[in-house]
Amino acid sequence: MKIVVCVKQVPDTAEADVKLGSDGRGIEMEGLPLQINESDNYALEESLLIKEDRDGEVTVITLGPESADEVLRMSMAKGADEAVRLADPALEGGDAWAVALALAKAIGGMEYDLVLTGCMASDDGMTQVGVTLAEMLGVPHATYVTEMEIGDGSVTVGRELEGGLVERVEMSLPAVVTIQTGINEPRYASIMGIAKAAKREIHTKSAADLCLDAGEAGEAGSRTKLLKLDYPPAGEGAEILDGTPSEASAKLANVLKEKGFA
Amino acid sequence: MPRVAARGPQAFNTRTGGHMPTLAEKYELLACIQCGRCTAGCPVSLRTPLNVRKLVYEGQIGPGPAGAHERPQAWSCTTCSTCTERCPKGVKPMELLIGLRGKSIERGKALPAVRDALESTFKHGNPWGRSRDKRAEWADELDVPIAGEGEAIPLLYYVGCTPAYDPRVQDVARALVRLLEAAGVTYSTFGTAESCCGNEVKRMGEEGLFELLVEGNRELFAGHDVGSIVTGSPHCMNTFLKEYGEPVGEVVHYSQLLARLLDEGRLEFKGSVEKKVTYHDPCFLGKHNSIFDEPRSVLERIPGVEFEELDRSRERALCCEGGGGRMWVEAEEERGERLADTRVKDAVDLGADVLVTACPFCLLTLEDAVKTSGCEGKIEILDIAELAALAL
Amino acid sequence: MNDVLVLAEHLNGELKDVTFEMLTHARVLADAGGAKVAAVLFGSGVGDLAEKLTAEADEVLVRDHDGFANYNSAVYQPVLADVIRGREPSVVMIGHTAFGVDLAPSLSVALDAPLATDLIDLAVEGTDLVATRQTHGGKVNERVGFGDAAVRLVTVRPAAFAPQAGSRGGSVIALDTDVPQEPAFRRFVEYVEAAAGDVDITKSDVVIAIGRGIKEEENLAMINEFAELLGGVVACSRPVVDAGWLPKDRQVGSSGKTVKPKLYVAIGVSGQFQHVAGMKSAETIVAINKDPKAPIFQAAHFGIVGDLMKVVPALTEKITELRA
Ligand SMILES: Cc1cc2nc3c(=O)[nH]c(=O)nc-3n(C[C@H](O)[C@H](O)[C@H](O)COP(=O)(O)OP(=O)(O)OC[C@H]3O[C@@H](n4cnc5c(N)ncnc54)[C@H](O)[C@@H]3O)c2cc1C
Repeated sequence: MKIVVCVKQVPDTAEADVKLGSDGRGIEMEGLPLQINESDNYALEESLLIKEDRDGEVTVITLGPESADEVLRMSMAKGADEAVRLADPALEGGDAWAVALALAKAIGGMEYDLVLTGCMASDDGMTQVGVTLAEMLGVPHATYVTEMEIGDGSVTVGRELEGGLVERVEMSLPAVVTIQTGINEPRYASIMGIAKAAKREIHTKSAADLCLDAGEAGEAGSRTKLLKLDYPPAGEGAEILDGTPSEASAKLANVLKEKGFA
Repeated sequence: MPRVAARGPQAFNTRTGGHMPTLAEKYELLACIQCGRCTAGCPVSLRTPLNVRKLVYEGQIGPGPAGAHERPQAWSCTTCSTCTERCPKGVKPMELLIGLRGKSIERGKALPAVRDALESTFKHGNPWGRSRDKRAEWADELDVPIAGEGEAIPLLYYVGCTPAYDPRVQDVARALVRLLEAAGVTYSTFGTAESCCGNEVKRMGEEGLFELLVEGNRELFAGHDVGSIVTGSPHCMNTFLKEYGEPVGEVVHYSQLLARLLDEGRLEFKGSVEKKVTYHDPCFLGKHNSIFDEPRSVLERIPGVEFEELDRSRERALCCEGGGGRMWVEAEEERGERLADTRVKDAVDLGADVLVTACPFCLLTLEDAVKTSGCEGKIEILDIAELAALAL
Repeated sequence: MNDVLVLAEHLNGELKDVTFEMLTHARVLADAGGAKVAAVLFGSGVGDLAEKLTAEADEVLVRDHDGFANYNSAVYQPVLADVIRGREPSVVMIGHTAFGVDLAPSLSVALDAPLATDLIDLAVEGTDLVATRQTHGGKVNERVGFGDAAVRLVTVRPAAFAPQAGSRGGSVIALDTDVPQEPAFRRFVEYVEAAAGDVDITKSDVVIAIGRGIKEEENLAMINEFAELLGGVVACSRPVVDAGWLPKDRQVGSSGKTVKPKLYVAIGVSGQFQHVAGMKSAETIVAINKDPKAPIFQAAHFGIVGDLMKVVPALTEKITELRA
């Protein structure tokens, strides 16, 4: 079973004070730790579980700058066999369409039974690349998958819908499945393992290698156009009860008392 | 700003191939005569299925377990090192346990909480999942010196991850700063550039990450020409002293520095603390480094303090079970009373108002034990720096 | 401007809220551009749903067919693509739901049309339409254009627009577009309801919800104590379930439960829209978070910016004092 996993390196902004770059088209990356996108990590784990269960070969692929090699090495340390980076400044800055097209060109040239992606990137929140890729490859897809069972030339998945309702779908292989968090328990990649993986080759591909011309790659190849980034308007928001933890708590305790909770 | 995560893994070499030593060869287990002193002295063997002697035996008679994932009890060890110290044949059972954890880590079979702590250390330089830019927040309302790029640091206050981030232990760091100020000590910190010393990482068995941290810290220290170091935790001190290979400078625990400042007359107590006080020896201060007298000498010099020893003290002190990665791991099939509960009850029985300790992990586990042992309101847990600061 | 087309989403005989939200905004757009609003409804036996939509749209395009008994993007997509090709709307709105996310990107490839997802706003600016969406966990707003495309596809975040009842009195138009057989390459199997657990968080007046900010399972003890004090149940965000700290039936949000308690306290929850979707209707919402920029403060009525490890014990103490 040949599995391709699409992974993305993203900045961890959960607790960070996100600052916009001066051109209003990106955020300041300085000081933000980089990591594998959360749901991609679950997708990777799922591929490794399949590989362990029924023999297989896992290729991880990413589109991104050199720093993204870190995510590929981490994936290899965990057990991925091959790593590919679509490494070309011309490919960067694209929308979901452009990213999916580059991935489709790369994956289309490989042998594969299953393509796994995370269901959503935590930075841009597009929730779009996996399905776009499937359609470009001309294979079936299923999104938000929290259960997966490989059959004979087929895969049965559980898609998590609103309210926790699960829709079970059967697809023929090859197929693209976008993985939702919580489907498994991702493993740890030891630093020794990552160091060993650093000796292994990461195959790189340029826009030319993918037979993409200038108008098809990156920003030029995008169907949507990024106009500008802003901070969200302050809005009404909550009444902030300030002071030390003890002072603020005293205020809140009083509010709760007034409302009959305390 | 130096960042552990940014260094990349090429920074160190992997061990190269050749014959893979067996557990027996690697940890010289054949010297073991199965006398059982290790297990007899093991504080957690009372409470969990961990049987150190048996694990050594398994390694003697065969290839032994493939890792801690096959013998989960290996995660129950607090690395207090009693077993290693008591072994009459010089075997190092504790190293074997850490080695078994390491084998699990290599196979990606770390427990989830351990995995998260390790990934956080790699990413943010601390095991608590907190971002690096918040590392100096504990000092926000204080005037704590932070060394500028390349600035020499004759005396470094190495705060450590738990005092930097844990809200309870932050109080200890702040108390210590007040004491240093009162004594007119010139010192500096690394602010947000400080990274984990690697103590817990090493004990969780993640040797590669530990080496990465050592390298990063060495570089950081060298870049500031660090003279001596006072650490905010006995665990950091122990690691700098014993596990960094070449010494990184003179390293002391803050209780030693406080004792010295009192000796030299630089630190004086103007107030008093009218309390009956007893003291819990942290394993990494006492058992591991034989620092028994300095903390006691500080306590005894605090005006008003009536000091009394616990029955099991100094070398015989009970472990609190917070070390060796155990802040992240629940022991296997626990039974009986937690050692920290026993410790708190002993202190209550002694009639102490305050149980003092000198380690962030001990402080947290003992404070938790006050609740779990039903001793709320009966006793207070304080760090030695906090008690001393009360007498300023 | 041409039509604004809205794909109606429904399950178990009920139209989803997001459908009415989209239609409300579609009317604003259509009025601004002098265009019509058309709702598209696919399903099996959906006559009464079509009737409900007549007030909301100028036209209700219905394809009632067995093949739509269950959702399958492989069936929906070619039919919807045909309808769009036939009518050339300026914009097609689809909910940013498990259904829409599965469908819209493949539609975009089939039509070679630009797609902007998870919109919180869409506005006519000059001759163009400009979408607003959020990135980096709600900390950044991104404005996106569609170039010179004739047909624009968007998915719209649930609850981004407040629904208002329409009074269009539109006509129902039955379509006869071909509906393909369910293809062998993707077959619907069944729906599986989530298993019920020991606690029903939707029944409690007080819900104390924790997020990833809780950092360690151990800290649950402190939260349980706090919840007990207020007579509430403990609920959580998705990562807490992923980590295995609480069972799935405690999860609040779009893929979890929707709760409407009198009091909701969100502790260490950042407030991503998928979470907010499940608790925004609570009567009083309190947020405790270290990060003053966390989006949860936009959803909350009262907030404390601070470390939960300090605030929760302090709050427990203050409430206990007040009671004494
Ligand atoms: C299809 C889909 C469906 C989803 N469904 C749901 C759903 O139903 N429910 C749901 O919740 N999520 C859902 N999600 C996930 C959602 O996108 C977010 O990832 C999730 O809600 C984030 O959870 P969180 O707020 O707990 O974690 P984070 O976003 O990581 O936020 C943690 C917060 O804790 C704060 N914090 C950290 N430490 C402290 C401290 N010491 N004191 C105070 N505050 C602290 C931080 O500032 C931060 O704001 C879904 C995602 C997808 C793609």
